[in-house]
Amino acid sequence: MLILLPQAIVDGLMIGGIYITIAIGFSLAYGVMHIIDFAVGEWIMLGAFLGYYLTEWTRIEPLFYLPVVFVLFGLIGYLFQPVIHRVLSGKKGNPLLMALVFTFGLALMFKGLGLTIFGFYSRSIPSNLSAGSLSLEWGNFFVTIPTIRLVGLIYALTITVLLNLLLKKTDFGLAVRALAQNKEAAGLMGINAKRTNSWVYGIYVGISAMSGVLIGCTFSISAQMGAKYTVLSFFIVVLAGMGYLSGVPWAAILLGLVQSFFLIYFNPGYTLLAVFVILYAVLLVSPKGMFGKGV
Amino acid sequence: MMKRGLLTVMALALIAAGPALAQDRDFYKVGVITSLSGDLATGGNVTKRGYDLWAQAVNDEGGIEIDGKKYKVQLFYTDAQSKPDQGASGAERLATQEKVDFVLGPYSSGVTLASAPVLEKYKIPMVTGSAESPLIWEQKFKYTFGTIPPVNYTGATPIETIRSLEPTPKTAVILGSNDTFSKATAEAFQAAAEEKGIKVLKFNIVPTGQDLTPFMSAVKVLRPDLVAFGGHDEELINLVKSLRQINYTPKALLMHYGVTEPAFVESLGADAEGVFGGSVWTETVHAEAEILWKDAMTYAKAAEDAFGVAADYTQAGSSTAGIAFQAALMKIGAAPPLSDDERDALVQALEEIDLKTFYGRLKFATEGQYYHANIGITPLTVQIQNGKTVIVGPEKDAEADPIYPLKPWDQR
Repeated sequence: MLILLPQAIVDGLMIGGIYITIAIGFSLAYGVMHIIDFAVGEWIMLGAFLGYYLTEWTRIEPLFYLPVVFVLFGLIGYLFQPVIHRVLSGKKGNPLLMALVFTFGLALMFKGLGLTIFGFYSRSIPSNLSAGSLSLEWGNFFVTIPTIRLVGLIYALTITVLLNLLLKKTDFGLAVRALAQNKEAAGLMGINAKRTNSWVYGIYVGISAMSGVLIGCTFSISAQMGAKYTVLSFFIVVLAGMGYLSGVPWAAILLGLVQSFFLIYFNPGYTLLAVFVILYAVLLVSPKGMFGKGV
Repeated sequence: MMKRGLLTVMALALIAAGPALAQDRDFYKVGVITSLSGDLATGGNVTKRGYDLWAQAVNDEGGIEIDGKKYKVQLFYTDAQSKPDQGASGAERLATQEKVDFVLGPYSSGVTLASAPVLEKYKIPMVTGSAESPLIWEQKFKYTFGTIPPVNYTGATPIETIRSLEPTPKTAVILGSNDTFSKATAEAFQAAAEEKGIKVLKFNIVPTGQDLTPFMSAVKVLRPDLVAFGGHDEELINLVKSLRQINYTPKALLMHYGVTEPAFVESLGADAEGVFGGSVWTETVHAEAEILWKDAMTYAKAAEDAFGVAADYTQAGSSTAGIAFQAALMKIGAAPPLSDDERDALVQALEEIDLKTFYGRLKFATEGQYYHANIGITPLTVQIQNGKTVIVGPEKDAEADPIYPLKPWDQR
């Protein structure tokens, strides 16, 4: 079965790519706003359905719609953030817990809304790319790379690089990092916390929605798909270290590889168990994530 | 003190009046347990359509006729949320609070297995229109019946059909999702394949909702002639997409339930072509009925008119569950509400049913491993051809020749 080794690695990387896309925005939102958004899967679902309908109506390659989805959902997120901010900055009770409950409720609401509007059937976004694959062979070894997954990996890496550039090289990024470090001090330095938070939330929602389109091309979508991706992104972000953005790609790829190797070489029934064990072990040794840099 | 005394009297009066209120009811209270949300919402909603359609058809005729008087039916839903425990507590609620006369059963075997013991306790008969795991019938529940035969009764038929094709498939990879129904399906496929001399190269139960692409890469190396998969709708769609992405086309691809669901063809388009499935009913099946809809086509049309979507065998099976009760009630002549004795008589009547319906012959087994499952019906092999579900086996029921081997994905 050594013959499958290159394939196992490639498959793992591809799965990792998809995981990056669903977790990177989530990590950003947590790092800056300290909010665990349980609705992340639902943003993915809503984005996927927007992509689905746009493609159905116009029959244009869905990946061209990624910017449209990003802008639209970015705007929704931007406008929506003040609501979460109100909950999060409340004086009574435990605001962090309230925010958690709030986003959980949001997730339930979106799911119900999705079931009512989109119905309960599974769908898939028709993409020309999802049909093709590249095959490489040398000697006994071979690798099949599904085009759509390759695109997904490239997209994930691009987003990661762009986000890093945004955070490290721009004034906006500086403001965001300052906010993440110390809200009060940043405010004293003249940073508009509310507006910056709104932008961050907008970016996060936009990225998540775009990932939805990609997931819709690779797998299938349904109004209830959210929960699965919420759990996954939560895993990855915890593994990477809560709020530590640069850890996300590594954690995502690690999980992807674990999954791929288990499916190919061991009993597929134990794949999820393996993922849990790794998460547990990492948290036991280093509660701040793989790199010890989480919050 | 005075106040508390008054409250007690009022409460007592209510308790006394309760049964009296329940007494003069001129309709049947029908409980329905099904999953309207969660992973199994698709199938759950399909069963709901089946049950609703039956209730509507019966009420359009004025109701079920008992001693010259017609009694309507009214459905009381409980959402099992795709979770067995929710199904069980739903059953409890239907029995103790709603006090239903009988129950139309859940979608999915797992929920059925959890709800059946509860209804057994309260002695409330249930006919389920969509549970296919053999485990249910092995438990020999007295009050539970099912209109769809279990997969170990139906699963062999598609394997037989595929085995008879040229060039003969010699090897197979069989996998199933990790839930009650899908596991049973995979095991039924495995047993049938081994019996027919198809070598099973790999047999695996995989967790639900997993990305199976790496697994299929490993399968690709084995180059099996047949890939057979037990799973639910979304998983089937993902599996076909996985196979297509790694560009491996086996000679035959067999899935059980879900292939006949309209969403399968709709989401996969040309990739759905040629996929085999197992079924017990399609709208073109020959079935002359003596009750309600006169044949399969009439039912299919009624379903299309009501919901705008083609009916599949789960929906038909669910409507038939209603018909089973209807026929049994007419036989024992019990008007609502049903007493405990009448419920027992209803079970007796269900056991004795031998009825021609639009769904085919309805006859519940009264002994053996299929105890209380419908064994009156012939299992069919179906295949997606030109976007439609077509019967391709067994030979006497076939409408078209099977397409075999599968056309490679990249030539579609």
